[in-house]
Amino acid sequence: MQTSNIYEPNRSLWAGIVVLVLFLLSSVLPFREVPGKEALIWLNLVLGVLTLGLFVVGLRRAIRQPQRYRGKIAGWIFTVLSSFLLLLTVFGFYASRHIPSANAAPKVGQKAPDFELKDTSGQTVSLSQLLAGTIDPPGAVVKPKGVLLIFYRGYW
Amino acid sequence: MRPVAISVDSPEVSRNLAQKAGYTFTLLSDPDTHVIRRYQILHPGGGPDGHDIARPAEFLVDSSGTVRWTNFTEDIRVRARADEMLAEAAKLK
Repeated sequence: MQTSNIYEPNRSLWAGIVVLVLFLLSSVLPFREVPGKEALIWLNLVLGVLTLGLFVVGLRRAIRQPQRYRGKIAGWIFTVLSSFLLLLTVFGFYASRHIPSANAAPKVGQKAPDFELKDTSGQTVSLSQLLAGTIDPPGAVVKPKGVLLIFYRGYW
Repeated sequence: MRPVAISVDSPEVSRNLAQKAGYTFTLLSDPDTHVIRRYQILHPGGGPDGHDIARPAEFLVDSSGTVRWTNFTEDIRVRARADEMLAEAAKLK
């Protein structure tokens, strides 16, 4: 009867776990506005694919060479889990990038269309007033050199 | 350079946001998306309940009303950084 431990470590599964942790970290770390944030987003996707790949390889080894590698059950659990997480990531990617183009928006050199909108106190404010400096911003007394219009999605 | 943020949020919602986040700059409300459409940056149905909203966009406008810099992200998770915007604003005479 065999009593000695003849198994090799299922390195692919262990590597998968390490990369899974990195993948999760890159998913949940608050995305500060840092340089290279676009790169980080792609890195997150790559880590997700790598995680799944490592688990699939580790699972296959455990299935095909059961005398040599352990980890069938863990392999299945991690493969299903990382598939689900990768699916979420891909969906998040699609949702974040599937936005209309701004091809028809005012370009550099064109005039910014004037407007009149209400501020947080209900007062109506126009772009021409903002540019002329005739609307008092909190704490400022000088006519601004320019106005930075920041359109955001809202619902925050 | 004066920052002015615009969204479909009502003045009440914007006021709450400004209070929570400590914003002191102007927040304007465009609930019917008239201005968003005028700037051609509408995102139809982009809001959580299918409401029309703006896609993210920044325009630096000089004192003559001319656009001097624009930023249109391809990914809503990536926005222009404050130092980028300040650098562009510093170029205005």
